[in-house]
Amino acid sequence: MPPWVGVAVRTGARRVLAEPSALLMQVFFYLLVTGAVTSLWRVAVEANGGTVAGYDARALTWYLALSEGAYLAVHSRIIEEIGDDVAGGTVASEMLRPAPVVGVRLATELGKALPRLAVNCGAGVLLCLLTVGAPPSTAGLLLAVPAMLLAGACNLAAMHGVAALTFWLRDARTSWFLYQKLIFIFGGMLLPLQVLPPWLHDVAVRLPFMTMTYVPARLASGHVEPELLLVQLGWLAVLAAFATSAFAGGERRLQAVGG
Amino acid sequence: MRHSGRVAIEVRGLTKTFVTGRRRARRTIEAVRDISFSVEPGERVAYIGPNGAGKSTSIKVLTGILHATSGEVQVLGLVPWRDRRRLTRRIGTLFGQRSQLWFELTPLQSFRLLAAIHRIERAEAQARVAELAELLDAGDLFDQPIRSLSLGQRMRCELAACMLHRPEILFLDEPTIGLDLLAKQLFRDLLVRLNHERGTTIFLTSHDVADVEHVARRVVIVNHGSIIYDDAVATLRRTLLATKLIEVGLSSAVDIPALDGVTVLEHTATAARLAVDTARRSVRDVLDVLLDTWPVADISVVDPPLEDVIAEIYGAPR
Repeated sequence: MPPWVGVAVRTGARRVLAEPSALLMQVFFYLLVTGAVTSLWRVAVEANGGTVAGYDARALTWYLALSEGAYLAVHSRIIEEIGDDVAGGTVASEMLRPAPVVGVRLATELGKALPRLAVNCGAGVLLCLLTVGAPPSTAGLLLAVPAMLLAGACNLAAMHGVAALTFWLRDARTSWFLYQKLIFIFGGMLLPLQVLPPWLHDVAVRLPFMTMTYVPARLASGHVEPELLLVQLGWLAVLAAFATSAFAGGERRLQAVGG
Repeated sequence: MRHSGRVAIEVRGLTKTFVTGRRRARRTIEAVRDISFSVEPGERVAYIGPNGAGKSTSIKVLTGILHATSGEVQVLGLVPWRDRRRLTRRIGTLFGQRSQLWFELTPLQSFRLLAAIHRIERAEAQARVAELAELLDAGDLFDQPIRSLSLGQRMRCELAACMLHRPEILFLDEPTIGLDLLAKQLFRDLLVRLNHERGTTIFLTSHDVADVEHVARRVVIVNHGSIIYDDAVATLRRTLLATKLIEVGLSSAVDIPALDGVTVLEHTATAARLAVDTARRSVRDVLDVLLDTWPVADISVVDPPLEDVIAEIYGAPR
């Protein structure tokens, strides 16, 4: 691994830790959203006789705490920001460093996600313990820890790949909007994939979005399915390759047509 | 310096075209047309021109961000767009409107990542930062968050960031933009000091003529994609402008008679400013007339501001 990777991750983390008030606001927002969504689902579970798609109130609360935690740990406007950087020439100036632009950016963003992930997990676990008690499965919760990291990495790699389309499309806002909606629906962020109609569920489990929120949430909700980590690793390789080749193509386009 | 003895920059017949517009309205724009020049190691060159002249495109080709449509370019013996990654280890770039430092961090924290990217060992990086702190008189700035620094202080830190890997050539694009007068002067002095003490080749673009005057020894002027002037800054005024300015202090008010080849730029009761077209009338002749017939208290002959000279060159027919 190149020596700059670790330094870039640490630099990203330092950038977030340098703004503690922003980090606190982010946790506050996370608790607010998670508290509201879990309350709604608990009502739905009670109305449905105690379970929804095999999840009881406790499992659903742990599910939503982890899915929201994974989603909010990653800066959601990266696609727009990279789009602006492509259009504004910042990416072009980053090409003048002896390291791949996408690699440095990915490592830095991963570093930025780590403190948020840690704080969200801590706050989420506390919220769940206070509202519904211990997790359905300790083994599942332990598996959810690496799954959270992989979820962040998959999300970041996908967002960088989508953002690289700005080299051709020139507008990142539409891509960002569509991407968010895809995570909401196919990522299992606000509801477990099992709640979806069977045909949509079958589509969702074949798409990479499930690695970004559903997998850690599924594990933390008492489903000890370690093979999901392998699914994440596989998708991470694919998404990283997508981001790398999209940026490489974008840089070649930039060399040809300017920017 | 590590210069290999060859020229630092060699450009022969560089042309860069862009295709714009959609299919039916597609058209080709020639941003740079058949440009040739070379830069010796240790030179300080200003590469200037009006907006849209082709400066930025040229710099992007020289640094490898863009590839040439035709022509040959070698920077430190490398073809920039083919060997960009290798070249980036040997050149530094500073764009006045873009920061390579992170706003929330201190410069030192940003330097750590830049040093790692350039694969500089930790101890070596620390030694270089200490050297740069002394050279740029910026030691007290390096451990303060960037956001708390003034623009002038930040630019000193930016300069340190792009010098960390000891580049042989420094490409600067509008480095003094937005700085106040004092900060500009300090920054220009630092560039000259870097050039003197380290032999770093300076390749500068700027719309601020004072940058050209104070930093560069040679000026290359590009307009409409072509080089229209390439010579020493000192000779720019001498050779290209057939105008001299005469500033006269008067001991009493006087009417100024019409003089062939002389234009009155300003006239008050105590002073006058005249432009002499030296192609039509010699300065000496005008001085003789003035000293014989005017109540002259003080008189001086000066070159017109470089800004006027360059504006005149920009405005010359293609």
